[in-house]
Amino acid sequence: MKTQSFYVRRIHPIVVMAMVTIACILITASLHLYTRERVATNEQFFLNRSILNAAGVVHDGQPTSVAALFAENVEFDSGVYHVKTADGSLRHVIEITGPGLWGPITIMIGFEDDLATISGVSIVSQNETPGLGARIEEPWFTEQFAGKQGPFSMVEEGTSAAPDEFDAITGATRTSESFRNIVNRAVANSDTISRGQ
Amino acid sequence: MAAGLAKKTFLAPLGKDNPVFAQVLGICSTLAVTNKLENTLVMTLGVMFTTALSSLTVSLLRKWIPSRVRMMIETMVIATYVIIVDIALKAYYPEMWKQLGPYVGLIITNCIVMGRIEAFALQNKPGLSLIDGLASGMGYAYVLLVIAFFRELLGTGTLFGFQVLGSWWTSWAIMIMPPGGFFMLAIFMWVVREAFLKEGSHE
Repeated sequence: MKTQSFYVRRIHPIVVMAMVTIACILITASLHLYTRERVATNEQFFLNRSILNAAGVVHDGQPTSVAALFAENVEFDSGVYHVKTADGSLRHVIEITGPGLWGPITIMIGFEDDLATISGVSIVSQNETPGLGARIEEPWFTEQFAGKQGPFSMVEEGTSAAPDEFDAITGATRTSESFRNIVNRAVANSDTISRGQ
Repeated sequence: MAAGLAKKTFLAPLGKDNPVFAQVLGICSTLAVTNKLENTLVMTLGVMFTTALSSLTVSLLRKWIPSRVRMMIETMVIATYVIIVDIALKAYYPEMWKQLGPYVGLIITNCIVMGRIEAFALQNKPGLSLIDGLASGMGYAYVLLVIAFFRELLGTGTLFGFQVLGSWWTSWAIMIMPPGGFFMLAIFMWVVREAFLKEGSHE
């Protein structure tokens, strides 16, 4: 094997590596900058939508109408979103996080002006098993809390009758328990929520 | 490039050299994303995009890559394409991006991508490498889609989220959980090897 020059052995690999790195960074960075606004809009849309859902405000799910509804009816003040509904009543939405089966579950939970009746629950982020625990995102599950008062106990899927019961998800008992604990913690502290002006 | 060689390069990863059931590569994502068809489809499209274009890129650069830093350059190229997929999903398909979570980023560590570059793209012309990368991605894709088809059907009674089995169907929760992936993959490999790959096995 013939001996290579110092440049070929030591410098050349570094030069090539640096050039490839610069090219890759330029590509990904420009793509990131190009889509940055869109990504921020998407995130804001998800957050606004979950706040409106928790307040029980009906919307068509379109980003523009959600943004308009949000700007018109929601005021944020010391950790609480105060949402004005179509009939003029006020609802108070807070964000709360608790442990799930695999990772934290963050939800928005809305209370009516008595600070006891739940107006709605929506999921901000969760990391549960797809198809099992992740079914907490399905509308039938979150909708069943609306109009009820806690603290809740859970019963088998499809059997809840009393106003302080909710349907657990079959095959996802641990996730359902975690969810109950998060909701009940929010319920226990609901009387400390400031109603705002 | 001879048409026969291109055809052979294209067909091998779909059949006897399949990355999943013959070479047993990329198993972790096979298990992780196959409990819903929709997630599986998006994930496999991402892998096809990445294997095809990173094989092409490395093959184009192969004469200039010093062999002692070749793995670093390969990883850099793969990572760039994966980030492109990730950013594109995040900006234009955010609901899916939220569901797939960390798995898109984990395409970087999918052994199929690196394996095809090392085994094929470094020695072959760009056109052939593109075909090889794309076919490897497709070989991975159809195996995952078959597994996901059975897992979603048996596990939830749905296909692509649509209910296809009636209310008489009791969902097999185990199929959606990670063990279901192991069972389906093992059954799939057993059936395929027993039925189609018998003469090729010399172990």
